[in-house]
Amino acid sequence: MIPVENFLILAAVLFAIGVLGVVLRRNALIVLMSIELMLNAANLTLLAYGRARHDATFQALAFLVVAVAAAEAAVGLAIVVGIFRNRHSTNLDELTLMKH
Amino acid sequence: MGERIAFWVCAVMIIGGALMTISRKNTVTAVMSLVMTFFGLAAIYTLLSAHFLAAIQILVYAGAIMTLFVFVVMVLNRDEVAPWALRGIVGKAIGIGALAYTIALTVLLLGSTPGFLASTRSYKSGPPPEGWGGVADVGNILFTKYLFAFEAISLLLLVAVIGAVVVARIPRHVEVAAPADQKPAAGQGGHG
Repeated sequence: MIPVENFLILAAVLFAIGVLGVVLRRNALIVLMSIELMLNAANLTLLAYGRARHDATFQALAFLVVAVAAAEAAVGLAIVVGIFRNRHSTNLDELTLMKH
Repeated sequence: MGERIAFWVCAVMIIGGALMTISRKNTVTAVMSLVMTFFGLAAIYTLLSAHFLAAIQILVYAGAIMTLFVFVVMVLNRDEVAPWALRGIVGKAIGIGALAYTIALTVLLLGSTPGFLASTRSYKSGPPPEGWGGVADVGNILFTKYLFAFEAISLLLLVAVIGAVVVARIPRHVEVAAPADQKPAAGQGGHG
């Protein structure tokens, strides 16, 4: 049986990659995908702790996280399409309308 | 032994897919790498004996969310000019450094003392009992103790669906994407 630490380290690395994607990329689609990566890392942590404690409550929580992630992806992509329709760009650095 | 090999194969698949996702210029390649990551994660969930969550992972992520992303990529259909966001690089470098420090500390703590978590009281060693983590187990908890959360999440999904349609549809009284202000090299975009 693989110790729970391995799963936690894997989740930490995955979360770090997601943060890098959000911080370093300009494309709104890639940023949304990186957010999905981070949500998955959180789910992996939940399930690792759930198995370590033999508690299925963690799995119910992970199920709810998956549902929230699906809702977030749908609304986020709709917003990206709406922004693209108005401004013909998905470059996040150009969306500075509320800054000035 | 076989479990160990499976874990490392899945770990390489997950990390490689995630790195490809954030580094590719082509958005379709990024989506497909993301799908690779999701499949690796589903396999890892099976290793954690969370079979229900593994099935959900493939159905929801590799099925629904991936399709959504591919459709939006097709609608936008725009090449990137400069993919890397380098504005405000100093603050970002500090943030990334702090994150790397935290991750390194976590990895060092967890990696240097094996059994660190298992030594505390609430963690059980050994595999979970037969049938743990199946549909029956998770459903029992969802429909008794967390029934309100389950109903609330279904309402949230309904709201999200309606909101997505309202935000993304083309209003009838507004003209669609006046071609005059499009850049000449832009090609065909926005004909979803």
